[in-house]
Amino acid sequence: MKLDRRTFIKGAGAGTATCALATLPGSLAAFGDSKLQGSAESVASICEMCSTRCPISARVVNGKNVSILGNKKAEDFGGAVCARGGAGHSQLYDKQRIVKPLKRVGERGEGNWQEIEWDEAYALIAQNLNKIKAEHGAESIAFSSKSGSLSGHLFHLAKSFGSPNTFTHASTCPGAYVVAAKAMFGGKLKRDISHSKYIINFGHNLYEGINMAETRGMMDAQMEKGAKLVVFEPRFSIVADKADEWYAIKPGTDTAVALAICHVLIEDDLYDKAFVAQYVSGFDEFAKEVKAYTPEWAESISDVPAEDIRRITHEYAAAAPHAMVDFGHRSTFTTEEFEMRRALYAANVLIGNIERKGGLYFGKKAASYNKFAGETVAPTLAKPGVDGMPKIDAKRIDMVDEQYAMMWSSGGIYQTILDATLEAVPYQLRAWVMSRTNPMQTMTDRARIVKTLQKLDFVVACDIYISESAAYADIFLPESTYLERDEEIADLSTKNPAYYVRQRVVETIGDTKPSWLIWKELATKLGQGQFFPWENMETLQLFQVQRDFDLLSKIKQDGYVSYGKPLLLRERGMVRDFVNTYPNAKAVDEDGTYASQLSFKTPTGKIELSSAKVEKMAPGRGVIRYREVTMKKADELFFIQGKVAVHTNAGTQNVPMLANLMSDNAVWIHPITADLLKISNGDKIKIYNDTGSEEGHALVTPGIRPDTVFAYMGCGSKNKELARATGKGVHCGNLLPHVTSPVTGMNLHTTGVKIAKI
Amino acid sequence: MTKRYVLVHDENKCIGCQACNVACRSENNVPESVTRIQVRIEGPYGNFPHLHFKYNRVSCEQCENAPCVKVCPTGAAYVNDDGIVSINEKKCVGCLYCVAACPYKVRFINPETRVPDKCDFCKETRLARGEEPACVTVCPTQALVFGDANDMSSEVRKVLDTKPHYQQKVNLGTEPRVYRIPSRKGGIKA
Ligand code: SF4
Ligand code: SF4
Ligand code: SF4
Repeated sequence: MKLDRRTFIKGAGAGTATCALATLPGSLAAFGDSKLQGSAESVASICEMCSTRCPISARVVNGKNVSILGNKKAEDFGGAVCARGGAGHSQLYDKQRIVKPLKRVGERGEGNWQEIEWDEAYALIAQNLNKIKAEHGAESIAFSSKSGSLSGHLFHLAKSFGSPNTFTHASTCPGAYVVAAKAMFGGKLKRDISHSKYIINFGHNLYEGINMAETRGMMDAQMEKGAKLVVFEPRFSIVADKADEWYAIKPGTDTAVALAICHVLIEDDLYDKAFVAQYVSGFDEFAKEVKAYTPEWAESISDVPAEDIRRITHEYAAAAPHAMVDFGHRSTFTTEEFEMRRALYAANVLIGNIERKGGLYFGKKAASYNKFAGETVAPTLAKPGVDGMPKIDAKRIDMVDEQYAMMWSSGGIYQTILDATLEAVPYQLRAWVMSRTNPMQTMTDRARIVKTLQKLDFVVACDIYISESAAYADIFLPESTYLERDEEIADLSTKNPAYYVRQRVVETIGDTKPSWLIWKELATKLGQGQFFPWENMETLQLFQVQRDFDLLSKIKQDGYVSYGKPLLLRERGMVRDFVNTYPNAKAVDEDGTYASQLSFKTPTGKIELSSAKVEKMAPGRGVIRYREVTMKKADELFFIQGKVAVHTNAGTQNVPMLANLMSDNAVWIHPITADLLKISNGDKIKIYNDTGSEEGHALVTPGIRPDTVFAYMGCGSKNKELARATGKGVHCGNLLPHVTSPVTGMNLHTTGVKIAKI
Repeated sequence: MTKRYVLVHDENKCIGCQACNVACRSENNVPESVTRIQVRIEGPYGNFPHLHFKYNRVSCEQCENAPCVKVCPTGAAYVNDDGIVSINEKKCVGCLYCVAACPYKVRFINPETRVPDKCDFCKETRLARGEEPACVTVCPTQALVFGDANDMSSEVRKVLDTKPHYQQKVNLGTEPRVYRIPSRKGGIKA
């Protein structure tokens, strides 16, 4: 990408990223040409170019390429796909994609591979894993996978094998808001952005980290329905640009502003007293704590003017309850992540926007929806279980500290794999099986991950490319892409129940397999085939729909089916519509809503603004409180990262079409700072700290605070197998120290760096 | 002209995500090294904290009074009665006059076909099947509206009649059929 101060993204065209490698063993290039075979008619399926997993509609065009568009049946998604989704086919037949199992020859991570057959791969894995299990116990093997879709199959294998150590990428990405929601509400909440009239956003960049339904919803709310958007973010991102007001908040001080908003809501008597009285526990303790958090105090910490915090809070309250403070996504700013998420949720609770239009709500899956309706509006899906799964006595490696209990069941604390391997805390790990996960990029302290991977006795990676992490595997298993796979029916319920399903669009290219089949076949080799009794995906799907063939064929035909009417329990109009439609519906309250039915799976059964349970798990943290954090040394700059619309974290940098759109991440530096450091736009720079050092180039722009630098994450791979991505841009994980945030167990993504021209 | 196909790009709604760029490539088999459409995120302009980006769609403007058509010696570049500036590959002699004449610099030589290429509103691919252009279909934020401006009941007509809009480089007299709704923040900077 040509760097021009006036142009951040320039679309494709220029710098064609061509293959710099001699043919890699196992790659599609080595496999020889294979023609695309698949349906010329559109097939409804599910995208997998990011974690949102939008409903798509895809067809093979003239045996040449695949046209991927959104599935129009899924209204919230509007038949749209983003650039990543549209480019999925370019990954499918990328010559650098691996389509044959590989065995490491030479040193681990050195990049010498030999093609092998599946049978040999399974035999080698089974031999090694069984040996380690016999000598050290099954628990000394960790299994990790990107969350969702087929991850359940790998975790099923782990359990039948006898290891409790299963991990997703939660602690490197979405874990914190899930854990905070569990602590306060007893479960996950969703955002009704499209009906919101006032949205306060702390850097949840929905216009670059695109989540199709929410991105569309927010634009619709803003442009068609006149919603106001206020953004607090250190960088002038696209969401900041689209905001009505943008404040370049100091990194890591969101908690202060969120608590000041709560302060004003309470002190100026703007909060919903009836809601608090009915649904909230621990309000008094919270109110007492928040008394000190005045806007003036917040201004001194965050650089956001006190009068603006006051005014914004009043505007927000005036729009209540159809208003929200977005609880965010990845942004792991500080070690006070847990308090930050809780403070954001608290600002929602105080205006009583739970189960109201434009606020936050619980997903309505078939079972609960049907109960309200008094009839089966939506079919429920069955979950296959198998008999005689072994009981596991060993404790998970992340179970050393009870404060993390809420994270154990939400994906675990991924980075404890490193502690357990390097320091035998709480016991020694000896092998790691990973599936479509790239911790080398998404976890912190890259050097420590390298050490870990070198120390382990055995490493297996299943992926599409030899990612930076897979580069350290002993055995590489090539997975079929999502365009070549069938999967189980998935739940996509929002305000009403909905299902959708992934279906293959093209015949498998090369010698790859879907990971559900890989783990099933490996299980057989490991001698535990009895725990995988299903023959194929069709068997599983039929089991899910309880042999209702019509239902299955409808879901497959449409790709996406939704049932009933949207329902928010405290929204009178919606409840009225609902009971008019379903004559046997549950009786409504006097006020015409289902308000009395709203309950929370917390110890008190209420929303816990202060929590005795949390206090017990993590003393001192029962009440939401501001604590000062040190994220950088005095002479350093804050280093923050974020998402871009054309890449998914570290997953797509090698996809040809997307590499062509953006192959590099320049470091954003404010002109004043650049001046002091004698750096001009486009200069080669070194960015470094105690953790690591990276080389990149500077993008001098007023769109960033002078005390902060920014880079899009995911670039700068260091393994030669990712030919298009390697050595391009800065590798963020190489600069982030290994720190775990209390209660949530999150990786830290903000630190300090120094910068010098080279 | 029986039809007058036009396109409206709403710069308020555009987030520069490049979904249009990618969809256009797939649908029209555009080779990697060239492009029919880019959306450039330019800026930020202004003074901190009053900054704004500009989302600049760069693609054929489908000029009513097209310089590329005027200079073409063989009639290979022509305007259809649907108002789409088109290319007849068979008549093209490869003189490149049209590439030079386009004031918007959006014509290029397709490295595979070796003839001039550019956005044709997906006329050969999607319009032929009765579908909307690829970029319009995929745009996540519905920043694009396409249709026949001669049709009084069409969505484009409605948008053009109700929202302020501008065209690029009107001073050249090319009368583009691509209209832009200026960003509330940026104002008109054609
Ligand atoms: S797809 Fe739409 S929002 Fe994205 S860059 Fe193109 S016009 Fe803009
Ligand atoms: S923009 Fe250029 S190529 Fe398109 S019609 Fe006008 S002159 Fe011709
Ligand atoms: S109308 Fe068709 S050819 Fe033109 S830019 Fe859009 S997708 Fe490409």
